[in-house]
Amino acid sequence: MALLKLEGIGKRYRQGEVEVQALRDIDLMVKEGEFAALVGPSGSGKTTLLNIIGGLDSPTDGSVHLNDTEITCLSEAELSDFRLFQLGFIFQAYNLVPVLSALENVELVMVMQGRHIHERRERAEHYLELVGLSSMQHRRPSALSGGQQQRVAVARALAAGPRLVLADEPTANLDSENATALLDIMHRLSHEEKTTFIFSTHDPRVMERAERIITLRDGLIESDQEVEQHHAL
Amino acid sequence: MSTQLHSKLPLLALFSLAWRNIWRHRRRTVITLSSIAIGFGLAVLSIGIGDGSHNSMIRNAIKLGEGHITVQPLGYLEAPANHKYIADGKSLATQIEALGIAGSVQPRISLQVLVSTANNSVGAGLEGMSATDDPRALMLQPMLQQGEWLKPGDQRGVLIGDGMARKLKAKLGSKIVVMAGKQGGDSQAQLGRVRGIFDSHVDELDDFLIISDLQLARMFLQGEGADPAQQPVTRFAVFLDDEEQMALWKKQLQGAIDQTQLVALNWREMMPQLVQFIVIDDAGNYVFLSLILMLVVFGIVNTVLMSVLERTREFGLLRALGMSRHHLLQLVFCESLLLSLLAVVIGWVVGGGLHFWFSSHGIDFSAMMAEGTAIMGTFMDPVVYTELSADRVLQLTLIIFIATLASGIYPAIKAARVTPVEALRT
Repeated sequence: MALLKLEGIGKRYRQGEVEVQALRDIDLMVKEGEFAALVGPSGSGKTTLLNIIGGLDSPTDGSVHLNDTEITCLSEAELSDFRLFQLGFIFQAYNLVPVLSALENVELVMVMQGRHIHERRERAEHYLELVGLSSMQHRRPSALSGGQQQRVAVARALAAGPRLVLADEPTANLDSENATALLDIMHRLSHEEKTTFIFSTHDPRVMERAERIITLRDGLIESDQEVEQHHAL
Repeated sequence: MSTQLHSKLPLLALFSLAWRNIWRHRRRTVITLSSIAIGFGLAVLSIGIGDGSHNSMIRNAIKLGEGHITVQPLGYLEAPANHKYIADGKSLATQIEALGIAGSVQPRISLQVLVSTANNSVGAGLEGMSATDDPRALMLQPMLQQGEWLKPGDQRGVLIGDGMARKLKAKLGSKIVVMAGKQGGDSQAQLGRVRGIFDSHVDELDDFLIISDLQLARMFLQGEGADPAQQPVTRFAVFLDDEEQMALWKKQLQGAIDQTQLVALNWREMMPQLVQFIVIDDAGNYVFLSLILMLVVFGIVNTVLMSVLERTREFGLLRALGMSRHHLLQLVFCESLLLSLLAVVIGWVVGGGLHFWFSSHGIDFSAMMAEGTAIMGTFMDPVVYTELSADRVLQLTLIIFIATLASGIYPAIKAARVTPVEALRT
């Protein structure tokens, strides 16, 4: 069953005097539980597409449906609530609130969701344990390595119980060891939690773990292929 | 949207996050708070000195003038004349006494006279009063430079200021003729003898005032046709133990007197020029306070705005995660609120400390006031003790709090306007 459906998505914006066509006529369906990678060279439109799927940016043409909700029709306040309750985000860097501990960062989204303190504490501890950071839950981001910070971001994204997690180049700032470890965690949790992941990347290590690779070039889907997984979960 | 769920940010979480955010740059926050506290301390000190000096002037003006409340003939204030007097002072004194006023009630006779010696003549104000009980007499007594103070029942003795003594070339024991106009155009005169010369440092008093016992002054009222048995007076000056009760006692007095003949006036109504002077002087203090407030506001705007601009990306992240615009606005406004509360508390510690010290030790302005401290017919004590009433404390607290809070509005709006995509690109 399609969790996400994009129809005729186009995005134009002006850069000075020039009009840039970032995305053209994108049609895409993503099923529940997929672990999909958006790949393509810089400027191909990966981040723009992720932003549109995440309700952070609006398309010039087309529509985006997540389940029964057409998110392109939502008001700004509704989009904000939509992101809070339906989506999880992992960004490339500077992903955490520096004045909060790892545990508090994971709890933050659940605080905004209005979850009870006991429930959110329990979930935050559980997901920090799943990403292997139980012993560091009281550390602030400045006392964590880049890889550890991204793992906290993964825990935060999943602890809030989203339908879809969007990750924009999550491993771009990580060394090989940390990137591989993070991808394995994301991949494993995607299966364990039955959570759909879409991430943009041009990192071959990420592509290796993806179950579906959607290649963008010049704002168009160049290819969309499901791949057989060789990596054990 | 299919879901009816909305984002929430409980107050505790909001304040906790805001509190941590203001301490993100500890040094900057400390510097901001210090500048606010120092500015606020100076403002408190300045207002305290202003109020202290004004209250000193008012207290002296009340003693040297006509008390907290004056009961006198209707129309006397607008057009004083020797023939406007209270003929039956004895009955009125009994009526006033029956009210049980907490304080003292002093009978006074005020006359416009011409005082002459063999050398010169000057216009003067003769004030007949109890030389031993009247607060005005008691205040001037320590300022006696030569001679002795009046004794009760002295029918000829007068006290004059050193300014008048110079003009009349009068010395101790000099005979002076006190002449007063009568209704109808005639005049009457009484002979007086200088018992003492005082120097109050207030020119209006030293050049113009001549003090006598009630009996000497009453002779002039007799000349106007008054019956001395009824103890005629020009007015009763009421000195209250508690100044805060002035409005209450004025109302009581108004109810007790014949309002077709008499009027009860408080010191503000009796000395409008002094009130005006204080208002103008206060305005100067408010200008100083406004300058300090501007510094405070710029300090907070600078700190909070800088902190907002630095966190644009973080605000973008929070918005992306689902924090609503109004929660973001609340968060930044909350940071200003906490900064304001801290500023008020630290400001009061500094300002209150300065006030506490100077309210008991005073500030000696005598070196700065070589020409004297006489103003508007009264004088300011050269050592000023700062004074702050509860109203002032509330007023200053509210002003600083509102100013600091208002300074958080712009940064909060700026933060709330952050759009996630643009912020995350920064």
